[in-house]
Amino acid sequence: MRPFGLRWLAASSLLLVTVAGAATRPRYGGVLHVAVRVATLDPLEAGQPSGPAASNLLLLVYDTLVTLDDRGVPQPGLALSWQADASKQRWQFVLRRGVAFREGAPFTADLAAASLRAANPNWKVTSNGSAVVLQLDSPEPHLPAQLALARNAIVKRESGKILGTGPFVVTQWQAGKNLTLTARDDYWGGRPFVDSIEVELGKSFREQRMALDLKKSQLIELAPEQTRQVSDDHPVEASAPVELVALLFRRDPQSPVEAQLRHALALSIDRNTINRVLLQEAGEPSGSLLPNWMTGYDFLFPADADVARARQLRSEVLQPISWTLGYDANDPLTRILAERITLNARDAGLSMQLSNAPAVDLRVVRVPLESLDAHTALARVSAALGLSVKTSGDSPEDLYRAESAVLQSWRVVPLLHLRVAYGLGASVRNWNDKPDGSWDIPDLWLGADKP
Amino acid sequence: MKDSRSHAVYNARILIPAMPTRRLSPSRFAGCLLFLAMASLAAPAQSAGPLAGEAAQQLAAKIAAITGRMGISLEVSNRSSLSSPQVEEVRRTLQNALAAAGVRVSSEPVSARVGVTLSEDLQSYVWIGEIQRGDDAPTVVMVTQARPPDSRGKSDAIALTIRKTSLWSQSTRILDVAFWGSARMLVLDPANVTVYQFQERENRWQVEQTLPIAHARPWPRDLRGRLLLRNDQDHVFDAYLPGVLCRSSQNMPLSMSCAESDDPWPLYTDPYYLNAFFSTARNFFTGAVSPPILKNSAVPFFSAAPVPRDDTVHWLIAGLDGQVHLLDGRRDTLIARTGWGSDMVSVHSNCGSGWQVLASSNGGPTGDFIRAYEVPDREPAPVSLPVVFSGEITALWTSREYNTAVAVSHDVEKETYEAFRLTLACGQ
Repeated sequence: MRPFGLRWLAASSLLLVTVAGAATRPRYGGVLHVAVRVATLDPLEAGQPSGPAASNLLLLVYDTLVTLDDRGVPQPGLALSWQADASKQRWQFVLRRGVAFREGAPFTADLAAASLRAANPNWKVTSNGSAVVLQLDSPEPHLPAQLALARNAIVKRESGKILGTGPFVVTQWQAGKNLTLTARDDYWGGRPFVDSIEVELGKSFREQRMALDLKKSQLIELAPEQTRQVSDDHPVEASAPVELVALLFRRDPQSPVEAQLRHALALSIDRNTINRVLLQEAGEPSGSLLPNWMTGYDFLFPADADVARARQLRSEVLQPISWTLGYDANDPLTRILAERITLNARDAGLSMQLSNAPAVDLRVVRVPLESLDAHTALARVSAALGLSVKTSGDSPEDLYRAESAVLQSWRVVPLLHLRVAYGLGASVRNWNDKPDGSWDIPDLWLGADKP
Repeated sequence: MKDSRSHAVYNARILIPAMPTRRLSPSRFAGCLLFLAMASLAAPAQSAGPLAGEAAQQLAAKIAAITGRMGISLEVSNRSSLSSPQVEEVRRTLQNALAAAGVRVSSEPVSARVGVTLSEDLQSYVWIGEIQRGDDAPTVVMVTQARPPDSRGKSDAIALTIRKTSLWSQSTRILDVAFWGSARMLVLDPANVTVYQFQERENRWQVEQTLPIAHARPWPRDLRGRLLLRNDQDHVFDAYLPGVLCRSSQNMPLSMSCAESDDPWPLYTDPYYLNAFFSTARNFFTGAVSPPILKNSAVPFFSAAPVPRDDTVHWLIAGLDGQVHLLDGRRDTLIARTGWGSDMVSVHSNCGSGWQVLASSNGGPTGDFIRAYEVPDREPAPVSLPVVFSGEITALWTSREYNTAVAVSHDVEKETYEAFRLTLACGQ
C-alpha cells in the first residue's frame, strides 16, 4: 500500500471512532440485568417445569451439538456436520475443533459422548476420533433436533460443578436467589457484546414488572394475561403461541362411556372466550397438542365449543359422574382457567368440583414446547404429560396420525397455546428471539436509554 | 454471472448450492413461483407450472386411492400465505389431476365430499385432503412441498416495483454510468470515460468528450470499475479501476489524470460509509474495508450492501466463497439459500422500511434477474417481483444518493452491453 493509502486508512479509522460514538454500531460492554422466576444450572432439569426462560439461561452457559434456526432446521453448533445411515439408527456427528470448557479443558468427543450418555441412559454413545457416534434401537430421523434441546447440552461434570462451553461462564450462583454470568472472551462463536448478566431469581411476575419499571431489570418475563398491560415505555417481545395449556386426566378412560363424557367436556369448553376475556388474547385456542404454525393441520382438531352436542353426549350416559379438577396453587392462571372450565362443564350437565389437592381426576397443566421441530416437540410434550406417542414415519401425515392417536386416548384435552412474552428495558438493542421464544443474548447489546 | 463457462472469472462467483432431494427443492419451487408470477402477469390462465402440478398429482393420487373412480365434490380453502390467484391455480391443477386419475369432480350428488385445505408449517406448504364418505369419520391425506424460506406471511409483501430504464448501450463493456446534472451522462468503459450531452432537439445523447484512461498494467479479466460523481470545487468525478484512480478536472472541457493507486473504492458514503480495497489484479474486493464491518477482517467479496437496523447497520456481502454473509460487526453469519448472485446494492426509497437490497440472481432457467429484498432479521424477504435482463449482470452499483442503482447486462447474442437505471416504486 502506498503512503497515501495508509494515511487515508488512518483518517478513516478516526472517522470510525466518531461514527461509533454516534451509536451506529453495536457496543461492547455493560451489564444486562434479568429477572426470572426460576433458573437451574443443570441441563437435565431443562424444560418442564422450569420453563423457557430457564432453558434460555442454560444455553448461555452450555452449547448443544446442534442448534435449530427460525424454521426448525438443524444448524451446526458444537458439531460441524453429521450424517446418518439409511436406517437413521446410526448417526455420526463431527465435532468442532478448538473449543474449550470454561476452565480451559478442551472439548473432546469423549466428553461429548459422556455428556449425552448421562442425559440419555438408553442411548449408545461412543466417541470416534473427533466424532461422536450414536447407535439407536429404533430409527430417529429427528435426532439432530433432539440434540438441540437444552437438556442435551454438552456439560463436563467435575467435583460437583457443571462446566460448559457456552458464551458465558457462571461467576456467582445462589440457588433461588441470583446468578451472575460473565462473557467469555474466548468463546468460539465470538465474544458476546455485554460483559455480564446478573439474574435475579424467584421473582414473581409482579415483582419483575416493578423491577422493569424501576429500571432495575432490562429483561423480564411477562405473565400472558399481563402482556397488554405493560407500559408503552417498555418494548414487549412475544413469541408465537408455544406453551400448551391442557386438561390432563389422571388415567385413561375406563370405559367407552367415560371416554364419551370426556368428549362432552372437550366440546363444552369455550376456548375463544377464555382466550379473549381471561387471557386478553395472549394465546390461540387450539384442539391440538402442537400449534398450527408448527404443523399446519391444527384446524383438523376442532376447538370451537358445541354445548348442544356436549349436552347430547352427556344425556346419552345415564350413570352419574363427578370430576375433581385441580390446578397449580402457585399459578393464578391455571386457577382462573379451572374456574371457567368448571362453569362450562356445568353448562353441559357435567359435574365438576375445583380442588388443589394432589389427587384429582384431572388438572389444568401448562407445558412449554421445547423444540421448533414438530416431531421432537410432540415427543417432548407427550413425555411431559406422561403419555406415550409413537410416530411411524417422518412425514406430516405420520405426525398427524401420532397426535390423533394421543388425543383419541382422551387422556388430554388441549385448550390453547400461549405466547411467551418478555418485557425489555429501553437500553436493550438488537433483541432477537425465535418463534419459540428462545433468546439470542450474545447478539444483544446495550445502548443508552431512549428518552 | 452464471458460470465460468460463459464468462471468464478468477474465482467462481456464486455457486448454486446443492438442494435436498427428498422434498421438492426450494430452488425449484422458487423458480416455479417466479414462473407462476411472471406467467400470471403475462397470461393469468396459464398452467401453474410443473412443480404445483407434481404436488397436486400426489394429492390427487392419494385422494383417488381412497375414493376410487367415482364422483366427488371438491372444495379448496386456503390457510396459507398463497395468494388468491395461486390458490385458484392450484385448484384448477388439482381438479385436472383428479380427472386424470379418473375421479370426476361434480356439483351433483356424489359419493364422497373432499375438502382440500392449503396450509403451511414452519418449513413447508402442507396440503391436506379430508375425504368424507357417508357418516364415517373423514380420512385425512397430506402432501408437502418445500416453501421458499421467505414466502410465509410475505404474500402481500411484494409491494414494490423495480423500474428499469435503459440508459445506454454499446459493444464495449460498460463498467459504470453516472449523471452529471440533468443533461450530461458519464460512461466508464475499459478505455475511456465518455461524456455525453443530451441533445433535446434530436432527443438523443451525443458524445461531448472522450477522456482516455491511462494505465501501465494490463487490465484484469472481468474488469470492474466504479464511477463516483464528486462535483466539488476540485473535480467532477473519480473513476476507480483495479490499481488505477482517475480524477477529472472541474471545468469544461474536462481533463482527466490517472495514476496507479491502491486507494479503497468508496462503495457507500453518508450515512453508511464503506470504503473497500479492490484487488489490483483481480475482480473482487480483498475484504479490507474501512470502517471495519467485522471484528476481524471480512472475507474477500464481490459486492456489499448495508442493512440499516434501529441504531446500527449490518452488512451483507457476496463472498468469493459463493455465500452471502451477514456481518453484524461481531459475527459473520452465512445466509442460506438466497439464490443471490455476486452483485448487490442497497437503495433508499420511500417504501417499506426505507432501505432495500437489490440483488442479482445466481442464474437459472429464467436467466439473470434483479430483485428487491428487505432484511428484517437474518432472512432476506423479497419485496418486489424480479426484473429480468436479457443477459448476465456484469455491474451493479448504487448512486451516490442511494436512490437509484445502475445495472449493466451483457447480451451475448447481440454482443452488446446495456446499462439500466433501476428505481423503486411503492405499492405497484
